[in-house]
Amino acid sequence: MVVMLAGFGVTVYQLQKVTRFSQIDGELETRISALAGAMRELYLEQGPPRGGPPPPDDFGFGGPPPPREKQPGRRPPPEMAAPQDFTLSAETRALFANYYYVVWYRDGSVLTRSAAAPKDLTRPELSERDTLPHFRTRGDFREAVHCSGLGDCVLAGRSVEGDLQATRNFGWALVMAGGAVLALGLGMGFWFTARAIRPIEKISSAASRISQGNLSERVAGADSGDELGNLAGVLNQTFSRLESAFERQRQFTADAAHELRTPLAVIISEAQTTLARERVSVEYRETVEACLETAQQMRRLTESLLELARFDAEEAHARGDVDVAEAARMSVERIRSLAEQRGIAIESSFEPAQAYVNADRIGQVITNLLTNAIYYNKADGKVWIGTKMVADRAVIIVNDTGVGIAALDIPHIFERFYRVDKARSRAEGRTGLGLAISKAIVEGEGGSIEVASVVGEGSTFTVRLRKPPAVS
Amino acid sequence: MRILITEDEPRLLRSLAKALREEGYAVDTADTGDEGLFKAQNYPYDAIVLDIMLPGIDGWDILDRLRKEKQTPVLILSARDARPDRVRGLDLGADDYLIKPFDLPELLARLRALIRRAAGHAPPVIQLHGIAVDTRSRTVTLDGNPVTLTAREYSILEYLALHKGQVVTRTELYEHLLDDTDDTLSNLVDVHVFGIRKKLGHALITTRRGQGYCIE
Repeated sequence: MVVMLAGFGVTVYQLQKVTRFSQIDGELETRISALAGAMRELYLEQGPPRGGPPPPDDFGFGGPPPPREKQPGRRPPPEMAAPQDFTLSAETRALFANYYYVVWYRDGSVLTRSAAAPKDLTRPELSERDTLPHFRTRGDFREAVHCSGLGDCVLAGRSVEGDLQATRNFGWALVMAGGAVLALGLGMGFWFTARAIRPIEKISSAASRISQGNLSERVAGADSGDELGNLAGVLNQTFSRLESAFERQRQFTADAAHELRTPLAVIISEAQTTLARERVSVEYRETVEACLETAQQMRRLTESLLELARFDAEEAHARGDVDVAEAARMSVERIRSLAEQRGIAIESSFEPAQAYVNADRIGQVITNLLTNAIYYNKADGKVWIGTKMVADRAVIIVNDTGVGIAALDIPHIFERFYRVDKARSRAEGRTGLGLAISKAIVEGEGGSIEVASVVGEGSTFTVRLRKPPAVS
Repeated sequence: MRILITEDEPRLLRSLAKALREEGYAVDTADTGDEGLFKAQNYPYDAIVLDIMLPGIDGWDILDRLRKEKQTPVLILSARDARPDRVRGLDLGADDYLIKPFDLPELLARLRALIRRAAGHAPPVIQLHGIAVDTRSRTVTLDGNPVTLTAREYSILEYLALHKGQVVTRTELYEHLLDDTDDTLSNLVDVHVFGIRKKLGHALITTRRGQGYCIE
């Protein structure tokens, strides 16, 4: 920037100087042509010198100088005395208000000079055939000199002290302006940079606060609409997802702790009540049985929790082509004794349906769904299970004639520990994790699970699974 | 003393009720929020043990609604141990908050403290003209000598002692000392008062005709 400003300043300064001088030179030229005109008149009065070229052509003004014949050697000046009474017309002198002039005759004597002309002016060295006007700078003066081939010379000059001073002033003004532009530029640069950096600093400090554990913190300025705003928006989305993942984890841990605390409370309370005084053996027996039952419930719960944690953690496991009809048939066999115990009839309609899944896990899902269908059925109810291919999906449908699920509860039934009828299900040893585990498995296998239910009539769970990839 | 336990885990409810009954309390139970709220609003309990996660109306709601009409001491017994829950419970008007799993002796001690305070009587031993009623061990001494009372007799004495100077009607005694499983006919208050007087002297409990009993 400094280089650019300096370059620009120097160029402008030079241009200004050159323009100024060429303007002065133009004025000087006008004046020497006037002097030359006066000289021509002198020649006309005196008559053409002998042997010389016609004087009017000697001062080559009013156009390009005419081509001249080559003249070998220096011509001796003609033997003509210098006129003693050479004066310039008032009109011509008026031209030289701020200028000076000197006119030399061909023998070197000064024909006339203005009062303002510096005393040390000497006649310029004559150079042969050089009849063009010349410009020179001598100290504070700028002068134009024009000599004829005969050796008559006219000189016009003026002091350029004022002009040089003006040019110098202009130069200083340029330097000042450049400095101002530089200062302003640097200032604006700092300001803009600071403005541009501030959001980044905000993002970075917000991110570091979040990394220190304050997950609800967000980056401000996500709505500014520029690139940084977009970045902040993306970061905020990431933080939101992180926060909700942590929140789910925290909720799950809290729920798990809650679910384990209640049976623990039962065991401790049973034991302490019984030990508070002497009992008959029947009472001890009752207490031990209650404790055992409760401990079994805790065992089921911890197993389910571990299972769920495993599904959450692991991704890859053995998959293969599985006929879900076969898996469903095996699940029905496993569950039949429970169904009979509760007086529930199981009906089925199995059509072959191939899916690309882990057979054990899908078997577990089907068993879970059947178990639910049996537990939440009414007396002498029915459970219907069917498998078939629909489009390119293997579909498993489990339908019951149970109590149904209220519309209010449907969005929550796949949540961990959600129980529609808590007291009843817990008393039956249900952990509240069955559907959550089923959903985790099905989604882990790339399928989907959904439920439709009518209160008082029953519920239908539908599982859809991917079919095996085509063999090439 | 009559206590309501609201708890949806059946085994815990059963074992708590048993423990409290053995401590001489009359115990009512509720395993849903609605039943709990109904009983809490309609019976004169000396304390209520309240679970938070209940089917139907939850514990917060019961507490909130109960506090609009009654001062009954409430002890929240919940597996929810987070500080916001504890603060919320106490700020909704609960008198105590105990986290599951709990120690039975601690629960019993807290209930005794709640009942004493609600009766405006902080010391655990009540002194009455040479008779000391120790609410911690549920024992009575007369001039330093232990006196054996039946559980019912002790309960009536303790209630009258905690409300020393007040006339307590028979109905009030029935309501506070018998739970809804008791057969009222077999528990005539007059019979028990007669038994107390025989053991501790006739001057202790005075009968106000047509009103009730009073320990001066």
